[in-house]
Amino acid sequence: MMNNDRTLHPNEGSTRMIIRTTVSAGAVALFATVGPLPAQTASYLDFDGLSRELRSLASGSNAASMQALGTSHEGREVWLVTVGAPGGTPLESRPGVLVVGNLEGDHVVGSHLALETVRYLLSSDDANLDNTVYYVVPRLNPDGAEAMFAAVRHARTRNALPYDDDNDGRIDEDPPEDLNGDGLITMMRVPDPLGAYIVHPDDARLMKEADASEGQAGAYTLYWEGRDSDGDGFLNEDGAGGVDLNRNFQHVYPYWERDAGPYMVSEPESRALMDFVIAHRNIAAVIAYGHSDNLVTPPDSRGNLSDANVLDLVIAADASNTDIFATGVFPGGGGGGFGGFFFGGLPGAVPQLRGAQPGRDNDPESGRRPAESVNRDDLTYFEAASDAYKEITGIEKVGVSRDARGALFQYGYYQFGVPSFSTQGWALPEPAEPEEEAEDEEATPRQRGGAPSGGEPGFEASLLEAMDGAGIDAFVDWMPYDHPDLGSVEIGGFRPYATTNPPAADLPDLGRAHGEFTARLASMLPRVRIAQSEVMNHGGGVFTVSVAIENTGFFPTSLQHGVVSRSVQPTTVQIQVPPESILTGDAKSSTIRKLDGSGARAEYSWVIQAREGSTIEIRVRSEKGGSDTTTVTLR
Amino acid sequence: MINKTTIGLLLGLVALTAVNVHAQQRGSDPDHRLSLTWDRWLDHDEIGERMQLMQRTWPNFLTLRSLGNSHGGREMWLMTINNPATGGELDKAGMFIEANVHGNEIQGAEVILYTIWYLMENYDRIDEIKRLVDERVFYLLPSVNPDGRDYFLDNAGSGARTGHIPVDSDGDGLFDEDGPNDLNGNGVIEQIRKYVPGQGTHRISHVDPRLLERVFPGENGDWVLLGREGIDDDGDGRVNEDPVGGYDPNRNYGSDWQPNYIQGGSMNYPFQLPEARAINDFMMTRPNIAGFQSFHNSGGMILRGPGAAWQGRYPTSDIRVYDEIGENGERMLPYYDYLVIWRGLYTVHGGSIDWTNDGLGIISYSNELWNGGQYFNSPLLQEQRQNPNSPISPQRSRFFFDDFLEFGDQYVEWAPFEHPVYGQVEMGGWKKLSGRVNPRFMSMELFHRNMAFTLYHADQMPLMSIGETSVERVGGNLYRVRVDITNERLIPTITERARQNHVVRPDLITVQGNVDIVAAGWVADKFRPGPTQMIDQEELDRILVRSGHPGRTTRTIEYLVRGSGAMTVTYSAVKGGTVSASVQLR
Ligand SMILES: [Zn+2]
Repeated sequence: MMNNDRTLHPNEGSTRMIIRTTVSAGAVALFATVGPLPAQTASYLDFDGLSRELRSLASGSNAASMQALGTSHEGREVWLVTVGAPGGTPLESRPGVLVVGNLEGDHVVGSHLALETVRYLLSSDDANLDNTVYYVVPRLNPDGAEAMFAAVRHARTRNALPYDDDNDGRIDEDPPEDLNGDGLITMMRVPDPLGAYIVHPDDARLMKEADASEGQAGAYTLYWEGRDSDGDGFLNEDGAGGVDLNRNFQHVYPYWERDAGPYMVSEPESRALMDFVIAHRNIAAVIAYGHSDNLVTPPDSRGNLSDANVLDLVIAADASNTDIFATGVFPGGGGGGFGGFFFGGLPGAVPQLRGAQPGRDNDPESGRRPAESVNRDDLTYFEAASDAYKEITGIEKVGVSRDARGALFQYGYYQFGVPSFSTQGWALPEPAEPEEEAEDEEATPRQRGGAPSGGEPGFEASLLEAMDGAGIDAFVDWMPYDHPDLGSVEIGGFRPYATTNPPAADLPDLGRAHGEFTARLASMLPRVRIAQSEVMNHGGGVFTVSVAIENTGFFPTSLQHGVVSRSVQPTTVQIQVPPESILTGDAKSSTIRKLDGSGARAEYSWVIQAREGSTIEIRVRSEKGGSDTTTVTLR
Repeated sequence: MINKTTIGLLLGLVALTAVNVHAQQRGSDPDHRLSLTWDRWLDHDEIGERMQLMQRTWPNFLTLRSLGNSHGGREMWLMTINNPATGGELDKAGMFIEANVHGNEIQGAEVILYTIWYLMENYDRIDEIKRLVDERVFYLLPSVNPDGRDYFLDNAGSGARTGHIPVDSDGDGLFDEDGPNDLNGNGVIEQIRKYVPGQGTHRISHVDPRLLERVFPGENGDWVLLGREGIDDDGDGRVNEDPVGGYDPNRNYGSDWQPNYIQGGSMNYPFQLPEARAINDFMMTRPNIAGFQSFHNSGGMILRGPGAAWQGRYPTSDIRVYDEIGENGERMLPYYDYLVIWRGLYTVHGGSIDWTNDGLGIISYSNELWNGGQYFNSPLLQEQRQNPNSPISPQRSRFFFDDFLEFGDQYVEWAPFEHPVYGQVEMGGWKKLSGRVNPRFMSMELFHRNMAFTLYHADQMPLMSIGETSVERVGGNLYRVRVDITNERLIPTITERARQNHVVRPDLITVQGNVDIVAAGWVADKFRPGPTQMIDQEELDRILVRSGHPGRTTRTIEYLVRGSGAMTVTYSAVKGGTVSASVQLR
């Protein structure tokens, strides 16, 4: 178990930088582990560094192997490390845990949690490597992650698909620029009597929307740092990067949004992962580290996720170019157009359209809709996993988060049908003074921003306060700058990567804790066995064969939603005799949609006709819970 | 523009290099360059051969390529028709026509082959055909599901709707291990019935002894139906529970895709199927495609999206376009109704024409070829059918038609059979070509009318042109320049849905020349004095028109410029072509 305070906020007087290594690819080892495995890393690793580290882990153990699932747009491998002891049950028939990290390019910590998970699993006794398989994809978005190690850093979530963000016929033509040369893309606040924002009264670093009802008048407009490179009147509306891979999956997919891709699973990276997942139905649980959380705060009693913790500054800067899709829209069918000159092949026709015919005229309400909240029967498993997570990691409160449309972990539950989790993987440092309004917050769920009315600090303010208290330099103070087009502005804002990644020094402990949690989750997977078998001889070659099937794991063989969505195959119990030799009783093949965990049993019996002394095999096969076979002799 | 002399020269070359030497005209028609017959259903190899033959015959216009392989390794043949003398492929609006995504819905492939053949044979004979071929580009893909097609044509024909990626339909870890079997080896998967006097659910109809009818609740019949011809192949105690494939290849597209439990047969994610993926990858490289047709069978329908009610109504301006083409389609296709998929057929999530409409901004229809009403296609016969005692009543008409017009070719009489599981049974029923596929002798009309509808649809794709221009000197080197810009056809350059989804590049109005643009705007009415609606954009030499140019409309753009010499205004629409006009500032 990890102590939150001790681990995340060591009593250091000095201010720590979030990113200890800015451009170096090499690992700086600060902690050592027992055993022959390479030491843990306490610096963020670029693609080459991560690849080297994974390769050395995989080559150092016969229980690990490494392969490329596919390659990114820019040709980097999406690595998969498979962990499981050789021999015994084939890996693809064992209950499996899938761990994916760094789907969002700026969530580099996710890849380190996954990397350290591999190290933990290979060195720990509790990973049950003989009967479990772990599939670990540390960095799904290697192109996006590489931006953290660039000379100019801009917290980029997206992959490298060239994409015309503003649909103006030009691709990546107006990226943000590091105007003040500090190596960071931050924001600009520009004095503007028509602007919507004012400086936040509680913290001069933050901004809030002017509230006319309070007599406030806007004074600033916010932009990302840069110029209008293509001269279209909008700043920084089309930079490098195409698709946020954690918005590219199939559940509540954000159709037609700029960073979600042209369609679901459109990208080489997401597609490579998805092809792997659907070919490995033994995956019985998913952990996808990212910007959404359902581990620290499990789904509520109605099965819904908690609200997102958003940064108002980021929202304000993004909003500076949302109007772009309103330009060039000429209403009324054409801004003074005149029609009726041409009628194709039907001169003179002024059609009286009767419209599409009703045909069968089906009920518009007919047809079922996909579930969008966790099934009530499954909540307990999410809560149990959350309890284990908090107990092991000590993390009680997460930082910046967002809505989970199109996220991989949502696919894992809603369409793949297994317990599936996401979390940021590190704790928001505890604020200096205790929060008395914590209960109020829970009572009124809403999107928590920086400036709620009523004076209590919003998420953004409390985030800054916590970062300040922990000595984390998360904010670049506003500094005057003479902008070539906009005149006198200020440049500043949240430091790229600082709000989404913990200090690098925390990585070893965080990694070990997340490795331990992964092993704990594996210990909760369903495990079927034939607990008991019995033969009764009725004489004359007639026998009753009975078995009891048991799930010794904690999770059921299928979640209820796995049953509802038919995404988890039923557990099959089969007696290996010709169908015609079954005189009465259960069918040759019987199925169990869902067998609860913690020792729940299901019993089957067949009356068969067979030769005395012969042996009969009975098999149970569970997609998520392994399989078992027993042989009985007819006596 | 078309240079008539050049085209003449090119055609001369084609004639010299063609396979068949052009024969003399006999009778009322000139001889065809290719004498093809249209009374057979072609398998995949035959389709490929026919396309290669046509490509060799008209090499100047036809390009044959494979978009990739189906799951079973068959080529996805695509023919492009383009007259290079009238411009490059991407400079013209494209009409994409595909068929046979459901393996058993075969006849659309022949409609497409007929279309290629008809356009080429008549290019020199019929002015409207020549104009259409010269103005447009056509993409023609006869079979989206060649594996399913061959499975349907080469085998007994049962369960051929699906594609051929193995699916574990019964969840036993085995794939496609227990489908129907042609036990009596007659090439037909029949129905099985068993005689169980006084204990059954069905009885022989008094109307026709070939008909079985369900008895009323509380009564007992003499027969039970035991499903389709087959056995328990995998010894699991169940019959025919995991046949070939087991998904719907037309539920695997990228708009309103839903998981299997909401939309059966959708697979795991959109464009997972190699066939759907190959087609979409190609279409995404051809943003000029502005019309789409996917032929299915049957029922006699001209379908448009949306496939599900939850998607709401299409924008009104898009509906107007759909309605006009759809209703003219009803006039061209007797017995076909123009319908919205979810309302008139059933709910479809992730179908192909939802994707092409929503994701690619293409006006799209799907024709359900062949309507059973066409068996008895006169008002008199339709009236007779209302009488339940008539030999062509709905119950009996299929037998009547088969007896008198197909000479009994489509029906297999019930015959005794010793079944390994069910014991003494009878097997019989309709052959695969009966019902959904039109009788061969009625093919020509079906091919031609449906082709004509797609050609009409193609003709309504946007077609940009420049009309009147004017230059007025305001003073000094300041000029007011006006240019009329027209979309001559019904379909807008950008549908409203495409604009909402940002899936089609906006139209661009660019200016070249030694000019400085002071202002630009749309003239409300060029015949009367009045205001000009200023265009509020930073780059007036590159105006974005996100809402596109509506159908059958002329708009006048006005520029206030400083400059001299030639000024060229270019209107570029990815789906409507690029046109320009030059004026002299003086
Ligand atoms: Zn169909």
